[in-house]
Amino acid sequence: MKYQVRHMTRYCYSAPVTQAHSMAHLLPRETATQNCLKSELLVKPYSATSSRHTDYFGNNVCHVTVQSTHREMEVTALTTIEKSPPEQNLNLEIGNSIRNAKQQLGQANSIDTMLAREFVLDSPMVKASLALADYAAPCFSEDRPLLSAVRALTRKIFDEFTFDPKFSSIATPLDDVMKHRRGVCQDFAHLTIGCLRALGFPARYVSGYLETLPPEGQEKLVGADASHAWLAVYSPGEGWVDFDPTNDQLAGEQHITTAWGRDYSDVAPLKGIVFGGGDSQSMEVEVDVTCLDS
Amino acid sequence: MYGEDGNVREHWNYLLDSLQSLGPEAIRDRHKKAQRILRDDGATYNDYSDAASSKRWELDPIPLLLDSDEWSQIESALLQRADLLNLVLKDIYGPRDLIKYGVLPPEVLFSHPGFLRACHGVTLPGDHQLITYAADIIQTKDGDMRVICDRTQAPSGAGYSLENRMVMSRVFPSLYRDSHVHRLAPFFQSLRRTLSHLSPGNELPRVVVLTPGSRNETYFEHAYLATYLGYPLVQGQDLTVRDGYVWMKALNGLQRVDVILRRQDDYFCDPVELKGDSQLGVPGLLDVARSGNVAIANPLGSGALENPALMKYLPKISEHFFGHELRAKSVDCWWCGDTDDRDYVLKNIDKLVIKPTFRHPGLRTVFGPELTPDERDIVRKKINDNPARFTAQVIEVSSSAPAWDRQQLVPRPTVLRSFAVVSDSSYLVLPGGLTRVGGDEASLDISSRAGAVSKDTWVIASEPERIVSLWDDKVATDRLAQRADMPSRVMENLFWVGRHAERAEGALRLLRTVFIQLNGVRLPQQTHLMLLRAVTHLTATYPGFTANDQALMSDPEQELRSVIIDGQRPGSVASSLLAMLTSAEQVKEALSVDTQRIINDLRDNLSEMEEALDSGLTSAPEEALDPTVTSLLAFAGLAEESMVREFGWHFMQLGRRLERALQLASIMRAMLVPLVPESEEGSILESTLLSVETLNIYRRRYYGQMNLVGAFELLLMDRNNPRSLIFQLERVRKHLDALPGAETTTGLSRECQLILEATTNLQLANLQELATPEGDEGIRSRLDQLLSRTQRLVTETGIVTSDRFFDHTKGPQLLINSNWDHEL
Repeated sequence: MKYQVRHMTRYCYSAPVTQAHSMAHLLPRETATQNCLKSELLVKPYSATSSRHTDYFGNNVCHVTVQSTHREMEVTALTTIEKSPPEQNLNLEIGNSIRNAKQQLGQANSIDTMLAREFVLDSPMVKASLALADYAAPCFSEDRPLLSAVRALTRKIFDEFTFDPKFSSIATPLDDVMKHRRGVCQDFAHLTIGCLRALGFPARYVSGYLETLPPEGQEKLVGADASHAWLAVYSPGEGWVDFDPTNDQLAGEQHITTAWGRDYSDVAPLKGIVFGGGDSQSMEVEVDVTCLDS
Repeated sequence: MYGEDGNVREHWNYLLDSLQSLGPEAIRDRHKKAQRILRDDGATYNDYSDAASSKRWELDPIPLLLDSDEWSQIESALLQRADLLNLVLKDIYGPRDLIKYGVLPPEVLFSHPGFLRACHGVTLPGDHQLITYAADIIQTKDGDMRVICDRTQAPSGAGYSLENRMVMSRVFPSLYRDSHVHRLAPFFQSLRRTLSHLSPGNELPRVVVLTPGSRNETYFEHAYLATYLGYPLVQGQDLTVRDGYVWMKALNGLQRVDVILRRQDDYFCDPVELKGDSQLGVPGLLDVARSGNVAIANPLGSGALENPALMKYLPKISEHFFGHELRAKSVDCWWCGDTDDRDYVLKNIDKLVIKPTFRHPGLRTVFGPELTPDERDIVRKKINDNPARFTAQVIEVSSSAPAWDRQQLVPRPTVLRSFAVVSDSSYLVLPGGLTRVGGDEASLDISSRAGAVSKDTWVIASEPERIVSLWDDKVATDRLAQRADMPSRVMENLFWVGRHAERAEGALRLLRTVFIQLNGVRLPQQTHLMLLRAVTHLTATYPGFTANDQALMSDPEQELRSVIIDGQRPGSVASSLLAMLTSAEQVKEALSVDTQRIINDLRDNLSEMEEALDSGLTSAPEEALDPTVTSLLAFAGLAEESMVREFGWHFMQLGRRLERALQLASIMRAMLVPLVPESEEGSILESTLLSVETLNIYRRRYYGQMNLVGAFELLLMDRNNPRSLIFQLERVRKHLDALPGAETTTGLSRECQLILEATTNLQLANLQELATPEGDEGIRSRLDQLLSRTQRLVTETGIVTSDRFFDHTKGPQLLINSNWDHEL
């Protein structure tokens, strides 16, 4: 499948900004199942300069600098991407058991496992807690395959939490999400990650997009026409597998990955610093995901 | 100092004999002299928790002696450790083989907040990433050297060592000369050379020292090193990122910065990629470093090595990289993230020092033996809750060295901080270092933070050394490139030093006049009232004496006292002095050593004045104010006599002249504008002249005859009177003319126009008319108009100048939706 993604962010300031430095995680990375055909960042004012590099996690990062006085900044990422279907017939019910996974995580004999252990630790926005461990524990009996347990956890979250765009802001603490049982895709991703880490499993945050068009007769998927977020869990020997708790499914061909990190803070689409700008800023975001095959 | 046979080691003999023959009295004197020099140099170690106080740097007059055997043990240990940590630094921000191959548990690295993922792949040119390194070392009772901590972020102390050495060589000149002590200069020469070589391609690199500012505990050292090395001292706000490079905001525009010697913690250095709400940072800095357009030493991210848990794994890491064991041994340590280690620590807590693996609010180093059983339980609980956060070390008691305790030598445990810097393809160790002495024989925590006294460290050379100067030819050339470069923030502070100094001085002179009159002859009623009102006007401490409060006027003591010593009250003498001292502290490196001494005097004057006035004004004669006036005069004199006529001097003098013009206008408006009964005209005029230092010349000229026009001439128009208004205005113009852009093809700058207008108004005035009252309000309204117009123009000149030359950009703010950035 071939997709085109347009992600536009516009900042308006109440007073002139003399200088802006920002950093964007907006251009998708390449993965085993996705290939970028075209990927560019357009910035207004036109005097802006940008540079690219690959970050610690292997994501594409653009640094955007505006040095002329401006009251408005617009950053648009345009991407054409080719996705191939994920590995066929992933049967979650046969695979590494939780007991095995735990034991293998403790051993130092695989490079992937050693590096994955970073994602068991607390990160700026996701801190493991007893409450999270308790919430997830019923899904994680020792003999169950790890991936099956994770799938059960994401279903539990899907069933017990309400998707509510009005409830959440970027920095909604997990405690609040737990208490009110509502949130958006970021919150559910963070929540699942927190549960997994609390039980000692590596989990990372994935940012990206989801195709809009639902197959005939089915409900439209939530998170369309906005940036989306889900998570991946690491199972020793099986590698990283992506789950989308917001939509109660494994991430599939329609999930376009932009970047991953420990949590949202590692891969925020756009962050930065301005000089000036007055007391109020406003931000507008537009996202279009179009399938080019149809 | 003792050998295995229990006897004093040979290299101590000369020192001990010399001290013996000097006798306690003489040593005490030398110690005092040392303290005086340190005070004069402004050597301090600030206490973060108390913003107002800065602790004086303490130096024990007895140096620590190391012979070549002891030294070579330390030196080789430090070299090996620096090499090893350099490899670790390269690895953790590069391939991370140590993690991949299980040499270092992932949690040790990844849970440490000093590991800055944004710094991955950012490298300095050359083989070395760790440019400077320091380690705290103790000598055990068995004579072995053990490292107790590594400093890799922005090691402090080398500057203090240098200061200690300067002081010692002045206090014990012959002892020092005859002891054949290794010199420190080559280390700093190497530092300079290495920093120059890091520069991305520029032939005459500009190197700056980045400091978090005067509140930092080791700010003295930042300023001291910057001066010694000849680099500008900058704060984050002095730097800006443009066109992919880093620039310093100097008076005549942006100056490119090639190399940054960093004394600020990395986490605070760039709000775009690191701590988002840091106001100390330079937005975009890390990306410039990433592209190789600026070199930062030590590189951002090097704080990750200051991880006590890492010490446990260094032997294994040494095996991995070198294939042999680590000779530079650390004290035994345990990381609680490891289950066996944790169990050991929990059982042996009373014998161990427990350190936080990383700085975290509410966590500090604790010494097991000093804890009560309850406290130990609390620590155990904390460890169990979050084991990876804690590292424990065995408490090694270091061997003792003689220290001076008021009248005798006493044995005290010591810790040596030793320094290494990259030198060509290897490291060079500072022969000496910063020794800290425990407060008593059983001290466990021996650190500057805990208030430990320092010692100079003498490495005794086996033969006399060749003298090397800091300046070699190459260095002299790059010094040229640094000429006259200072951030404009420094200029702004000097401007305010000048203004506040003059404000304090002017107020003191008037107050002194008031005291003389209060304590001496009873003044005519009107004069008395007007003088008091003038105090309020001059200091702008309204309503004060302008409130027409009868009680206040007849008993002015308390109000006068407050106008002098209430530091909280804007306009008071104390508040002006404090503001001046604060500005001066910001630009320590731009002031001479003599100036520093006067700054110290002023600080003392302030507290003495407070004491003197505490017992009431009547018993405190006007002399109570004299020492402060004298110090301020000395300060002004020094600026005149020993400051190079660079921009900084012009700004300081500009501030002074603007302020003096404003004060003169203010006093004259208060005293000479209102009409008074003829009987009081004389005393009013005399008081006015006295308070602006013009009475004597007036008396000489007019033989004590009342001559208002003559007095006006002296106060307003006399070019030869350094206290006259015209003198101030003309000087202001002179200083403005010396600044960039005073006159361009399009005409005079705005500030020059303003001052020209003020000067012209004054010159066009007719003294006779000014002296003549007009209208029926009972005032000299022409004089009032002239003076108030002058005040307005002069004030405006100050504002326009400040807007044009100084950077008033508001601090950086975060783009919305970026404010998730909280610490772990």
